[in-house]
Amino acid sequence: MSAVKRAQQWATFARTWHIFDCKWQDPYESANVIKKYLMGLHKPIYHPMNDCGDVVVCINSREIALRGDEWRQRAYFHHTGYPGGATWTLAWELHNKDPTMIIKKAVYRAMKGNLQRRHTMERLFIYPGEVIPEEVKQNITNQIRQIRLVPTRLDHIPEEEVQKYPKVMDYPEDYVLK
Amino acid sequence: MTKIVRAGFTFAKNCKNAVISTSVRAISITKQLNLKELREHTEGTTLVVEGVTVPSPRTALLVRAENLSGYVPPESSEKKPCYMCALGLDVKHTDVLILSQFVRSDGCMLPRRITGLCSRQQKKIGKLVTMAQKAGLMINLTPSYCHKDPKKRRDYKKFNTYFDEKTIFWWRIPKPTDKFKR
Ligand SMILES: [Zn+2]
Repeated sequence: MSAVKRAQQWATFARTWHIFDCKWQDPYESANVIKKYLMGLHKPIYHPMNDCGDVVVCINSREIALRGDEWRQRAYFHHTGYPGGATWTLAWELHNKDPTMIIKKAVYRAMKGNLQRRHTMERLFIYPGEVIPEEVKQNITNQIRQIRLVPTRLDHIPEEEVQKYPKVMDYPEDYVLK
Repeated sequence: MTKIVRAGFTFAKNCKNAVISTSVRAISITKQLNLKELREHTEGTTLVVEGVTVPSPRTALLVRAENLSGYVPPESSEKKPCYMCALGLDVKHTDVLILSQFVRSDGCMLPRRITGLCSRQQKKIGKLVTMAQKAGLMINLTPSYCHKDPKKRRDYKKFNTYFDEKTIFWWRIPKPTDKFKR
């Protein structure tokens, strides 16, 4: 095996570490993207019996965005196993308790339920904020593109830029501005 | 306070076509960004208050479809579309720079007689403004009692929420061609 081929072999089977910024991302949409990288579906050498999945590091999981009224509509079910042990926790209650849980459960649900799933989940790291451990940060070599654009708040745009922006609506002549 | 009220009263009497809204707040002695500006000066012993029409700060920046290069004028038989229909913009609820032009300083949607939109666009923009406000994207345009920072809101309101424009009930919004039949 030549040196080039050996490097190619190493590069093919090495685990890549990806980072994903969850800020203003829908966890259920982004779970389908994260799943591909975790399982290695984006690689041409993919095979279910081939351990070629990558590692994904999710940051800012506290800043995820749910659509419409899903924060109070979506319920997470848990049963302790005892009679009357069923609980339904709303999404915002769960997010209050553990800001990493929603994205974790979303990725877990996006994958097919087989014996490999729990081992694949071990390769997913979720952090509620931007701070990640140094030993994790050193490995990261790739960033997964965000699905949704992060919206800009009006008060974060400079005042002169708001004034200079092209206008579509003009006031009537006798309008008294409030 | 009485002085302000009196000033407003004389203002209403003197100017024929002055538009005074119901509250006294519409009359301000300090300078503000009004299309009608109030100026007062003393001539001897009398106080003169005059309402001056000020050019709108938006006129220079105004975008209209008929001024754009690739504009095709509609057939004369059809009713002229309103300016938003003519522009054909795909406005999302995150386009706060556009949506903020349609609201008052307290974040309320302006009525149709001021915006000059057709009923379809008025409803659509109104719903997009609601979405932007609920997502906390225009928190500087809110009433004074409002929790400005979305992070300080209660329960589920403190987390980020986005909206899908497809979820607007389009069937309730009348099409520009719709007319009542008798
Ligand atoms: Zn229209």
